[in-house]
Amino acid sequence: MEKIPDQIGYLVLTEDGAVLESGGDLENDERVATIITDLITLSNKVDPLAFGPNEQFKKISITYDDHWFVICLSNKKIYIVKRSLPTHVYEGNNVIV
Amino acid sequence: MEKDLDRVVEEIISTPNVKGCLVADHQGLCLAAKGTAHVDSAGIIVAVSEQACKIEPNLKPPTVCLETDKKQCLIQRHGTITGAIFKQKD
Repeated sequence: MEKIPDQIGYLVLTEDGAVLESGGDLENDERVATIITDLITLSNKVDPLAFGPNEQFKKISITYDDHWFVICLSNKKIYIVKRSLPTHVYEGNNVIV
Repeated sequence: MEKDLDRVVEEIISTPNVKGCLVADHQGLCLAAKGTAHVDSAGIIVAVSEQACKIEPNLKPPTVCLETDKKQCLIQRHGTITGAIFKQKD
């Protein structure tokens, strides 16, 4: 996780939100861990019409002006990385995909 | 009264790859919905944006992007209004 470019913090959580690993800005950040597990639970219910029942979200990103969070689920674990955004790339709240 | 909002929604939906668009107020009540976006998901979309705002409460609301293999849902809050755009990936 430390090798991810522009990484300024990371969290690895179990499915129920317990912190397995953490580092950088997000070291032992249980507040963010709880918020994000709740966000994942909520996102499961987003529009069954636009997203069919078999379409699970693969990635969630939360973009602020100068940093963004990327959230992925793999091997029953939740991976969260906080990455910085180069200031010249964004213009307001842009999403980089 | 909602002519302006309808025009904006119409404009968004006519953008390439955009399949649906939804606008809701802070209570989760749908103000406008077009395309694949369902009126019923307004509450959930507002809840998602509120939840994301809690991460950094002192910064302005972030853009949330939910992605599947083929589709994307972008959620952005502005003041009391939350907008969601459902997109098809290229």
